[in-house]
Amino acid sequence: MEILRNMWRRKFRTALTIFGIVIGIFAFTVMGSMALKLNKMISGGKRYVTGQITVSPKGASYDSSGGTLPLDTINKISEIEGVDKVSALVSLLATDPDPDNASVNMGQPPTIYGGDNSSDFKNRNWETMDMREGRMLDKNSKDDEVAVGVNIATDKKLHVGDMFNIRGRDFKVVGVVAKTMTGPDSYIFMNIKPARELLIASNPFMKSLSASGRLKTEDVNSSLAVSWKNGADSEKVAAAIKDKFGKEVTVMSPVKMGEMIDKASATFNAIILGSAMLALIVGLFSIVNTMVMSISERTKEIGIKKAIGASPSSIAWEYTLEAGIIGLIGGAIGLGLGVLVATLVNNKMASKGAEIFLLEPSFIVGVIVFSFIVGIIAGVIPAMRASKLKVVEAIREL
Amino acid sequence: MPNIVVKAKGIKKSYKMSKQNIVCALCGVDIEVKKGDFSAIIGPSGCGKSTLMHILGLLDRPDEGTLEIDGVDMTKLPEKRAYKMRAKKIGFIFQGFNLIPTLTALENVVLAGKYGGMNKTARTKRAKELLAMLGLPERMNHKPSELSGGQQQRVAIARALMNDPAIILADEPTGELDTKTSMEIMDILKKLNKEDEKTFLIVTHNMEVAEACKKIIKLRDGKNA
Repeated sequence: MEILRNMWRRKFRTALTIFGIVIGIFAFTVMGSMALKLNKMISGGKRYVTGQITVSPKGASYDSSGGTLPLDTINKISEIEGVDKVSALVSLLATDPDPDNASVNMGQPPTIYGGDNSSDFKNRNWETMDMREGRMLDKNSKDDEVAVGVNIATDKKLHVGDMFNIRGRDFKVVGVVAKTMTGPDSYIFMNIKPARELLIASNPFMKSLSASGRLKTEDVNSSLAVSWKNGADSEKVAAAIKDKFGKEVTVMSPVKMGEMIDKASATFNAIILGSAMLALIVGLFSIVNTMVMSISERTKEIGIKKAIGASPSSIAWEYTLEAGIIGLIGGAIGLGLGVLVATLVNNKMASKGAEIFLLEPSFIVGVIVFSFIVGIIAGVIPAMRASKLKVVEAIREL
Repeated sequence: MPNIVVKAKGIKKSYKMSKQNIVCALCGVDIEVKKGDFSAIIGPSGCGKSTLMHILGLLDRPDEGTLEIDGVDMTKLPEKRAYKMRAKKIGFIFQGFNLIPTLTALENVVLAGKYGGMNKTARTKRAKELLAMLGLPERMNHKPSELSGGQQQRVAIARALMNDPAIILADEPTGELDTKTSMEIMDILKKLNKEDEKTFLIVTHNMEVAEACKKIIKLRDGKNA
């Protein structure tokens, strides 16, 4: 109680100090939850790509614009030693980007994911998808059936049995995938055949080749997922594919992809750490400043307390705790604002599948503890100074 | 309990103002206070009264000399343990009252009990009793700024009595009070001395206050006069 009263003696100054912490912790909360979200997306992607060898045509980008992988090559790859099963994949954006209404979007845009459901291929880390509604596509699925990720279902208000028009073609929703917090939340899963047709239709060049009979539909494949036989070494299998087809395809082995993704994660973790450091430094110095001033104003009081028998440690503890409480109050307000902003933005973005913040309870508790610790650290040096004040000198200020 | 509460011998303390200018504040003072004494230390300004008071109250260290309080040798007492002695053996009453402005009268008194190691219930009970005894039962929950000078000094007296110290050191206890209130405060101190056998050592340059004391110790130029 006395600590709160002391803080409130200089309302304006305490408020300014707390405001400094609020800004620091606000930034920390927002940046941190954004980095957590990105980390989560990345780790989901990592789980997937490290469960298979991914082969894509040279020159293709991740959303599969550019190059396709001919069926002949796919068949040859499947014969390489150590290769177990292969599954072709066609992916393309669900809608073409609108240059007149361009916006920077974080997260995955809605993507058509046309898989070869007749293949026995299984991703080693991600064999099945949990479903919120209905079922996932399988060997018996028809070409007009789709399963959608949870973000798409939310945005388009889709349920099992609904019809869904994609790039001018009607599909029937047979399943909604449970939330994964990563890529599949924005996927539309369909058979590979309709996906190939949509891809050809979306590309005037392919369209004309196809019309003239020079492009076979089955040669349109964005990438190939390859599994390896039990006992085979994924890296050796990947190297063998690269040896034979290195000129035509890019081979991403599980280990290399894992390393690449870890590097990307490290960048986001550096963002968390960077914003934490910023909050720490700004907050720390403003608390130190406040405490030093407040102690010099209260020199006389410290002298009285020591004269009537206060121990140096009780004086030090009192001031350290005061600084800790300033940190805690600032932290709580900053965290509250951060959570509020993150939640508001998430709610607004959720329908587009572009939630950019992830607020985990452990992170929230961590931020609160962190802000208290920042306060305590800031308070230690001024508090030690207070505890070492010479009583006679302090009393002379009477 | 030993009969002699304070025994100081050959206390010296000097301050270095510059390389050549060393001021001798106390140049070998002897003092002895017995249990139940009601003594005044008097002397002109700068004679070393306050310095002596600080040394006797363990707020400062002598350069030379020996000091015993309640039979315990304080000469070699490390600072780490001095605060405990201050809390338990010594009560202070200052000229400017020196109450903590953010705390109520009761909390100011309770604080001394906390430093003296009393538990919460015991210290609250005792603080209330002391304040009631000193005529402040209605003012316990007021802050110092809401109290008159005399009332504030009575709170300070209650605080000094809290841990039942061996000696109460009062530095110009009436220095900031008008004559009537001064006499009231002196009456309280005398009554505590007479009825409860509290030992007082009062620093003053007010002759009326000094005359109210049983024993007068004179200081001049840092020595016993």
